[in-house]
Amino acid sequence: MPSITVSYRDFCKLLGKRVKQSKLCERLSMLGVEAEAAGDEIKLEIAHNRTDLLSPEGVARALKGFLGIEVGLPRYEIRPSKVTVEVDLSVKSIRPYIAAGVVTGVKLTDDVVASLMQVQEKLHASLCRKRRKGSIGVYDLDTVTPPIRYTTTLPDGLRFVPLDFGRELTPAQILREHPKGMEYGSIIRDLPRYPLLIDSRGVVLSMPPIINSEDTRVTSKTKGFFIDVTGLDERVVNKSLTILMTGLAERGFRLESVAVKYPNKRIRTPNLGPQKWCLSARNANGFIGLDLKPVAIAKIAKRMRYGVANIGGDVLTLLAPPYRADIMHEVDLIEDIAIGYGYDRLEPTLPKVLTTGERSPIERISDKARRVLTGLGFMEVMTYTLTNPHVSFELMRAKGDAVEIANPVSEDYTTVRNSLLPSLLSVLRENRRNPLPHQIFEVGDVVVLDEKTETGARNVRRAAAAVIGEGIGFTYIKAAAEALLRELGISWEVRATWHPSFLDGRVAELVVRGKRLGLVGELYPEVILGFELEHPVAAFEIDLE
Amino acid sequence: MDISTVVEGLSAQEKKVLLALQQLEGKASVADVGRRAGLDQATVMRAVLTLSEHGLIEVFEKKISKAILTPEGWGYARDGLPERRMLVALASCGSEVADEIAARAALKEDQKQIALTWLKRKGWAEFLRREEKTLLSITEGGGAALSQKTPDETLLELLSAQERNVDELPADMKEPLRTLVGRKLVRLEEETQRELKLTTIGIQALELGIEPTEEVSELTHGLLMSGRWQEVKLRRYDVVAPGAPIYPGKIHPQQQVIDELREILLEMGFVEIRGKIVESEFWNFDALFQAQDHPAREIHDSLSLSKPERTKLPQLVLVKRVAAAHEHGVAGSKGWGYKFNTDISRRPVLCSQTTAATVRYLASHPEPPVKVFCIDRVYRHEKIDYKHLAEFYQAEGIVMDPGLTLRDMLGYLKQIVVKLGLPKIRFRPGYFPYTEPSVEADVYFPEKREWLEVLGAGMFRPELLRPLGVRHPVLAWGIGFSRLAMIKLGIDDIRDLYRNDIEWLQKRRMI
Repeated sequence: MPSITVSYRDFCKLLGKRVKQSKLCERLSMLGVEAEAAGDEIKLEIAHNRTDLLSPEGVARALKGFLGIEVGLPRYEIRPSKVTVEVDLSVKSIRPYIAAGVVTGVKLTDDVVASLMQVQEKLHASLCRKRRKGSIGVYDLDTVTPPIRYTTTLPDGLRFVPLDFGRELTPAQILREHPKGMEYGSIIRDLPRYPLLIDSRGVVLSMPPIINSEDTRVTSKTKGFFIDVTGLDERVVNKSLTILMTGLAERGFRLESVAVKYPNKRIRTPNLGPQKWCLSARNANGFIGLDLKPVAIAKIAKRMRYGVANIGGDVLTLLAPPYRADIMHEVDLIEDIAIGYGYDRLEPTLPKVLTTGERSPIERISDKARRVLTGLGFMEVMTYTLTNPHVSFELMRAKGDAVEIANPVSEDYTTVRNSLLPSLLSVLRENRRNPLPHQIFEVGDVVVLDEKTETGARNVRRAAAAVIGEGIGFTYIKAAAEALLRELGISWEVRATWHPSFLDGRVAELVVRGKRLGLVGELYPEVILGFELEHPVAAFEIDLE
Repeated sequence: MDISTVVEGLSAQEKKVLLALQQLEGKASVADVGRRAGLDQATVMRAVLTLSEHGLIEVFEKKISKAILTPEGWGYARDGLPERRMLVALASCGSEVADEIAARAALKEDQKQIALTWLKRKGWAEFLRREEKTLLSITEGGGAALSQKTPDETLLELLSAQERNVDELPADMKEPLRTLVGRKLVRLEEETQRELKLTTIGIQALELGIEPTEEVSELTHGLLMSGRWQEVKLRRYDVVAPGAPIYPGKIHPQQQVIDELREILLEMGFVEIRGKIVESEFWNFDALFQAQDHPAREIHDSLSLSKPERTKLPQLVLVKRVAAAHEHGVAGSKGWGYKFNTDISRRPVLCSQTTAATVRYLASHPEPPVKVFCIDRVYRHEKIDYKHLAEFYQAEGIVMDPGLTLRDMLGYLKQIVVKLGLPKIRFRPGYFPYTEPSVEADVYFPEKREWLEVLGAGMFRPELLRPLGVRHPVLAWGIGFSRLAMIKLGIDDIRDLYRNDIEWLQKRRMI
């Protein structure tokens, strides 16, 4: 989950009320925001879907409603500015969408700067999918001269000085040399042209989604912002701008809209109008398990910062704030009603759903195998199913085919095991220093490739056991394997066979109705030594399916 | 206790030791007594313990020091000391150049250095530097040494024949011994030798007359059937002496926790189901209404597969309904608003959430009531450390019935933790991509005196249910199983769940 840090002092200022730190954390947790305080700093864990809470302004706005300090739909005044953005036809196949806005009356304090940087970073990482779906630029309003053009440039086209870099670079050089270019370059590297924002005097604002120019940098003297969001996803572009600008409005700054002229249409951004949703009180009560009157639900909705446009019998018409990017269905409203009611006030109930518990057949057999093998004095071990071909095949002197991982984390875990024996031998290797003899077993899954199945592979539950030490060999392990089969109620046949992992003449297959169920034998010396063991090992492995 | 009672209580071995000591004139080493009595040393020592406790004998301990050749010493005993070999070569080869002489004597580089050092120290040769070369000439002492062994060589020979007690060496060998020890050709080993001596009480006891009785340690079939058990004396055991511990074969500790949880869920009427290790992205993600560009589906979170390369999709009508839910929404939802791609659905992954199994079950059992659970391994793209594993157990359950509510969900969670013996639980809002409303439950662990987040739950979203043909609410909960197991087993490093140290497995008590 994304996390943000906020200053307790700044947060109380945003709330407009001093709330004790412990109470604050407790209430935030009941709002679904996990809070951990350390001195003045509070670390907040934000749910993936609540991108409107990625700033202290956003969290304070929600908490104000929850605490009853300020309820209902937040109203944001917005005036049209004279700034326009002209969109060039060439962006259509490159990075088609843009939304922009203006903020004036800005007083830049350390808190504002920290919050603005943080919210951009967090939105880029989450809603904007690492700047692919959307990327944000904030500029000093006084350094840009409208109209602003959203256009494209060739990779070795227009040179400008990118932020935090002392000299002019071409767009292609930025991708190669600038840290942000290296981090996000892959989004545009293969495109024929790169996106560019440039003002009427030819001053470059930025090369989205990579970097702003030094010329339009926000400084401590900045009195107003020009903000843009460009991207591949129109909804994300608009939501990001709305979240950013309404957050700044919570600081008391003034918002102004911008005219965006596409070749074929003209819009004004941001659109701060609420989203209209219908909520049935019956559905809300039914889902949560409450019996609230529509007016009571309306009151709760207001605490969750919804506006209530109308109550018509059972149906409430709610106005969701424009910055909410997570509402997709009535159930999302219902969860907000549950949160507003208070999870700490919900009494657990237990319904009578009449069912009979039932063990899965394979688990029942596995349990029985465990009882038999522990009864024989074997110790159960539990190992990873992830392994590698060296352990599975090379050390076993065997060939085979296994499920292969395309993106392994380490060389030790590149495949899924298709046998339990290598796992047992690895356990014995880890226990070389413990006094002998050892008798161990595992009941667990292996995976075999099988084209006939839906996923191309299937789990197979197996039981395997191994003994290490002098004087306990084939006779003993075969007796143990047969004891297991006998207790499982299986009638079997023993046939001599050959297998590269076992000593010739000391390996047999256990056959049930003509099919090999498993193998039992003394391991081949090279296998023993390969696992760095120094004493004879005998083992069996059988299929429980 | 008077002497006759003491004698009465002696075991056969103890009597044998006493008699042997008498035959050896009242004083002998443990080894000698053992030989005479026909007993091994350990048995003699056990008997000595009792006999000395009763004051019948006295034990004197003597530290002795043995001179033993080191491997290097053995080599020189065989081939001669390096300086001796050099001297012989110097006398016979006619050259003066040190390197050539050493080569003639077949000395290795390190041995040559040793030889030169000792030629000088023993005064056998004179050294001269000329044109970067060391030249040697035999001294008078060297000439004399050619025909005579030095004391250190005599000692080397002596020790190669037999290791010796330092005390027993002739007086003129003391100095050569120091030299050889200094040259690390001989090492000294300390040993404690015990000598036994009869006390006056011991002598009195023997005067009373001691008859060696037949004593047996084990009751046998033969003794029982022949009736001889009445005649022989069964040795008394030291019943309070601690013996070596033995351990039963046991179920693995983590499996014990799984079994306990499974028991609880079965009692609550849940049916156990099983998941697939290799799963399709369709069931692992798409069917759970996780958008195809959702961050959790990125390469850094789940383990994708290169073999098998593809999975088969379920029946087309289901795929279409799921695709529609993603693209433009179903059941009043707005959907994610993107173009669904069935190539992505067909990609295989290692199952990253047990929900894949429960949702598969729902698809084939859309009618109520449904109450199933699954305890299975899931896989993540994680580097293994004390907090993270790439594969671990997840426990999950679902309940489907008309009219189920969020409060019912809380009821199930509460009942599970109460049955786990953890009476305190509290709820707060949570977030999971496929449930709404969602809830996190913190449970109080008295042994840790801490509230810990171990349960997550929620009601499946309609966008997930409707394509499966499910028309009733479904409660779903999951347990952070590893965390629960670690607390139950008292371990702090998650890797210990799979460490399988046999000593640890033996000593850990069953839960």
